Amino acid sequence: MVTLALIRDTFREALARKIFWVLFGLSTLLIVFFLFLLRIDIVAGATATVSLFGRQGPPDANTDRLVRGVYGGIATFLYTWGMFLAVFASAGLVPSVLEPGRIELLLSKPLSRTHILLGRFAGNVLVVLLNSAYLVLGVWTILGVKTGIWSPGFLIAIATTTFIFAVLLAVVVLIGVTLESAAAATMITVALMIISPILAQTSLMMRLLSSEWSRNLWRVLYYALPKVYELGKMTLDAIQSRTFAGFAPIWSSALFGAVMLSAALAIFARRDF
Amino acid sequence: MESEYAIETQDLTKVYISQWKRRQVRAIDGVSLRVRPGAIFGLLGPNGAGKTTFVKTLLSAVRPTRGNALIFGRDASEPEARRPIGYLPENHRFPTYFTGAGMLDFYAALSGIEASRRKKLIPEQLELVGLGEWATMRIGKYSKGMLQRLGLAQALIHSPTILILDEPTDGVDPVGRRQIREILGRFEERGVTIFVNSHLLAEVETLCREVAILDKGKVALSGKMQDLTAGKGYRLTVAQPPEALTEELRGRASSMAVRDGLVDFQFSSRELANGAVDLLRAERCEIEALAPTTSTLEEVFVRTVQK
Repeated sequence: MVTLALIRDTFREALARKIFWVLFGLSTLLIVFFLFLLRIDIVAGATATVSLFGRQGPPDANTDRLVRGVYGGIATFLYTWGMFLAVFASAGLVPSVLEPGRIELLLSKPLSRTHILLGRFAGNVLVVLLNSAYLVLGVWTILGVKTGIWSPGFLIAIATTTFIFAVLLAVVVLIGVTLESAAAATMITVALMIISPILAQTSLMMRLLSSEWSRNLWRVLYYALPKVYELGKMTLDAIQSRTFAGFAPIWSSALFGAVMLSAALAIFARRDF
Repeated sequence: MESEYAIETQDLTKVYISQWKRRQVRAIDGVSLRVRPGAIFGLLGPNGAGKTTFVKTLLSAVRPTRGNALIFGRDASEPEARRPIGYLPENHRFPTYFTGAGMLDFYAALSGIEASRRKKLIPEQLELVGLGEWATMRIGKYSKGMLQRLGLAQALIHSPTILILDEPTDGVDPVGRRQIREILGRFEERGVTIFVNSHLLAEVETLCREVAILDKGKVALSGKMQDLTAGKGYRLTVAQPPEALTEELRGRASSMAVRDGLVDFQFSSRELANGAVDLLRAERCEIEALAPTTSTLEEVFVRTVQK
């Protein structure tokens, strides 16, 4: 009951912040786009015509490829703009709960500090899970009905998007409890997202870097930081039914998130308010 | 573990260390206080005396450097120890996305009240603090006094046995203050322990039966209100005494005040008051009133913190 109340409170606050409605509105726009504006005529399993805004485009010989291409585009949207907006919207949710006059009241209730912070974390993750599920399931259903192709690989985007958001949110929470700054939390988390595709070029950098020291530093950063880029690539591979190298990006990112969240809980448990 | 005290602190000390460990601030220093169940206890002190830090240690929002704070014998850092507490913070910042009813629902849920009971309790509590018609209005639209009353409803909704109120009448108009006093009176009758932290001395004097004055982080004075404010002297009120006699009495009195053609002389002993009466009657002056007086809490407070 207490956990549910904390999650509901996070939901209320998230809804009160307009940016979550922006995220929801963008998802709805994409769904509406596929529902009304994209027309695909299929003859004998292949795309006969594709029309957009009423104008006919060149037919694609392979409907399956077209659908997977759309899924890839949506997943990329979720990974870039969607993730950025989610981080931006969530960054203020932890510092806001630590405001003087609010945190003392929460701490006066018969619940542990760990419970308070985890409740907020879970609520935040749930908001993004619902938003991702809304967009992915909406597009998947519409394209499935229009094309008859039901590719379950796309649904993995819900899990991967939510997972990597949870990992990044752990950073947001840690920065939130230490610095109480939404701006700092956003900057550091977005920096992690930006640095991820750069760090992913490990084999190239091992050849380019001249000293062993700098190569080791690169390796440490690569293995320690969350693999936002690799997880995005894994999602695209799953959509395209391609094989992927391994699960290391998942467990190493999960480990990073767990360490960040544990550090945040430990700091929060010891802080004076 | 049962305890004979609702609130008990032993050698409670909090030292804040600045970020670079160059400076230490001793916010409270060896504070030992005991509050009996059912007492109405006032905590007073000048700004920076450590009152807020003391209250926060009772709620475990601040971890003591030394000593401990017990609620009915349990360490305040245990979540279960805080279950009997209803708390109204000073300078509260309730989230503005709540409606009045929504806010009560949230905090009541955190206090462990089941949904069905919350549904029944919320309208009752809103009525109790005079906000029944504002239940569905977002609290961003509430005035400061209304927020204060809503905060009080929040503190009361789970039927606490200890109420910790930080400046409970701050920002509330005189009618609202009286209403809050009446509500607290009802809770006193039910045996609820009420711990008030306030800088409004008159308010504390009206409300509390026991007080402690904190100064520079230490307990400078504590005791029952009637004991602390008793034994001051006598006030003699005279109608238009002759000027020479007024000067004579001014020399004997500890203070003198003129109001609406009457003069109030304050004497520190019965002998001095009787001597003044003899002088006035000899001059055939009209004595309006003679009454024993007690110290006001303000006088006690000023004497204590100026020592």
